[in-house]
Amino acid sequence: MEFIVAKYNYWIYIILMMIGFYAMIAKKNLIKKIIGMNIFQTAIILFFVSTAYKKGTTLPILTSADAHGEHAIAVAQYLNPLPHVLMLTAIVVMVATLGVALAIAIMVYRRYGTLNEDEIIKAMK
Amino acid sequence: MRFLSFIVTVLTGAVLIYGTLDMPDWGDPNSPASRHVSPRYITKTEVETATPNMVTSVLADYRGYDTLGETTVIFTAGVSCILLLRRRKKTTG
Repeated sequence: MEFIVAKYNYWIYIILMMIGFYAMIAKKNLIKKIIGMNIFQTAIILFFVSTAYKKGTTLPILTSADAHGEHAIAVAQYLNPLPHVLMLTAIVVMVATLGVALAIAIMVYRRYGTLNEDEIIKAMK
Repeated sequence: MRFLSFIVTVLTGAVLIYGTLDMPDWGDPNSPASRHVSPRYITKTEVETATPNMVTSVLADYRGYDTLGETTVIFTAGVSCILLLRRRKKTTG
């Protein structure tokens, strides 16, 4: 039971990630593939944010007592801020890839009149 | 084909779940991610950057070049969207 409690967050993210992975490789519609890619990226972001958590800690914003230098800052009191920062960057990259992917999907639709992968490959030959 | 994709997905998921058995527990204060460089950010952020919000100080001060590269990513994405979506005059497409 303790083992499940210690690891279940990773398992949830893996299940979410595999939903996105399945959508990316099995679905024929390009928009559904893009949605799968977004689910995949969201799972990775959630995974990184969960590694930042430490039991019994608060948000990585200094309390007023710590901010005025009245005593030494206890590391065990605050969350790990680094994964949050890195995931802020990852969210930006996610939005950028989503935008470019949707633009390419629009171009494919204008050219071939469909978003179905098989029909596009047939039309390309 | 759909069945093959499902098999590949389940296999990948099983390998990843096997990989989590060695991961640090949820909320473990001594996990490797919380020990290496993050205590330095937590203790020095007020002295070095005068910002109470550690996420802001790391994003804008310690990793400012990373954020600069991030804006480059957004710029590239925006330019490529414009190039892809503009209406060309002569060719239809």
